[in-house]
Amino acid sequence: MAKITKFLEKLDSLDRRIIFLIIGLVVLFPLLVPLDLPIETTQLTEDAFNAIDQLPQEAKVLVSFEYGPSTKPELHPMAIGMLRHLFSKGNKVIVMCLWPDGLFMANEALEQVAHREFGLQYGVDYVNLGYRPGNEAIIKGITKSFEANFSIDSKGISITKIPIMHDIQTAKDVDFIFSLSAGYPGAIEWVLYAGDPLKVPVSSGNTSIQVNQLLPYVKSGQMKGIIAGMPGATEYETMVVEKIKNNTGLITEHAKTLLPVFETERNAKKFIGAQSIAHLAIVIFIILGNISFFVKRKNQRKY
Amino acid sequence: MYIGILGAWIAVFLTLSILSYLYEDNVFYKLAEHIFVGVSAAHWATIAFWNQLQPNLFGRLWPQAEIATLEGFQKFWYGIYHVLHVIFGKIFPEAKVDGVIYRGIGDQPQNLSYLIALLLGVFMLFRLIPKIGWLSRWSLAYVVGMAAGLRLYGYMSSDVVGQIHATMLPLWTGDLASSINNIILIVGVLSGLFYFFFSVEHKGALKVVSKIGIYYLMIYFGASFGFAVMGRISLLIGRFNDLILYSGKQYGFATPILLVIMIVVLVLTTRKKKPEEEI
Repeated sequence: MAKITKFLEKLDSLDRRIIFLIIGLVVLFPLLVPLDLPIETTQLTEDAFNAIDQLPQEAKVLVSFEYGPSTKPELHPMAIGMLRHLFSKGNKVIVMCLWPDGLFMANEALEQVAHREFGLQYGVDYVNLGYRPGNEAIIKGITKSFEANFSIDSKGISITKIPIMHDIQTAKDVDFIFSLSAGYPGAIEWVLYAGDPLKVPVSSGNTSIQVNQLLPYVKSGQMKGIIAGMPGATEYETMVVEKIKNNTGLITEHAKTLLPVFETERNAKKFIGAQSIAHLAIVIFIILGNISFFVKRKNQRKY
Repeated sequence: MYIGILGAWIAVFLTLSILSYLYEDNVFYKLAEHIFVGVSAAHWATIAFWNQLQPNLFGRLWPQAEIATLEGFQKFWYGIYHVLHVIFGKIFPEAKVDGVIYRGIGDQPQNLSYLIALLLGVFMLFRLIPKIGWLSRWSLAYVVGMAAGLRLYGYMSSDVVGQIHATMLPLWTGDLASSINNIILIVGVLSGLFYFFFSVEHKGALKVVSKIGIYYLMIYFGASFGFAVMGRISLLIGRFNDLILYSGKQYGFATPILLVIMIVVLVLTTRKKKPEEEI
């Protein structure tokens, strides 16, 4: 008993580098030896998935990339999952970026999903309008005119020469807005300056740290669910795979042939094991830290 | 191929350099930090210039036109463009198709009101010249005024009115679970607002309401902290995933080699530092 008490007291002055090392190891191990953990979907992700799933085939969806390499592990799997979902239904996708790095993320995601997996035609099935500086001013701008803000796309092609943009003059002409958001400008700005004023449904895939800020908008119906952090991304990936597997709703024939790819290439599922184990380790640290604190305080009171 | 391998080595070096800060502040970390700041600024400026300034500003002032058809003011105006082309050929391009000379950028309609935006942009740069630096305040005043006006409308309609509307809920809905949810929400909003109401001293019953508000806020902060931890772990997973990817033979064993080199250098520099500290 005395030994345990001494150990717990020592924990209080543990070198923080040992904690870093342990966290590093618990994250590394499940990445090397992947864990196949069961995935339960939550209401937030289901709402976002259903809102997109209910869009008709001819619907045009505006997807905005507002993240960079630093938040790629959380948001990129969502981008991949969501683009797979949209293209598997035959929806047209208009991509734009409010973050400079978002352009690279968008190009990478479109190259993988639209080009390599679905073999879609640029300018007809999807377009990447690229990045524009100006934050919410750009959102406000496209509620009046796309052409005034995006005279050319990310490849330098005039917007007037892009077929998919011919019947899209403003943000009101799109059927759904989806923001892949890692901060400002991001999902909140889309609600404030496009979703609410134009009554266009908005949803978002966002980093964990933003979840608390976005929940009031979901609760009030200003957002149609959210994909929250890496767990949300894993759930969304699973829902897309399950939908194609069960052959429910709108699915193109080509998408059905891609099911094996969707089942195997799932980054979020690969990462969620590491995340779960790391969380478990942090919870243990918090419990041990608290026990250590109380043991130390109790011993100090004795003398 | 070689570019890919070089990219992997740079990525691994920078990742390990940043992570090395967890051990202690060191030269690798400082190097990576400075590279990050410099590259980020240059990257942002380049993208903003070629995606926004060149097509959206210069393109509107000088949309592409056939030189032979220009007359009067337009001839003079495109003469200025030609001078700019001679100095900055890449930014202000000219094209010759079947013997016909075209000047200008893109095919959008000409809009000379964008000269005001150009002028305000130039005023911003006057901050670098102290004597006329005051002119930059005009540009800043425009930015602040525009942003304040834009945000005020958004916040008022979506955040204030939208959220108040969403909080006007019945305390009893006929369903116990949703009724409890509504009560929790309404109590949370009212007590949280009251906590920040300082015109009345918080004592007696008011103290209880204020305390409930604090508990709600504490739960919010706790949840936020939990989500923040989740986000940070996700970032670590992303970096580790790349380090694992680049540790293979196809990338020249970048991760293990650089990791060993860094550990050796860090241990040696730490040992060197210690005797000096003791003195």
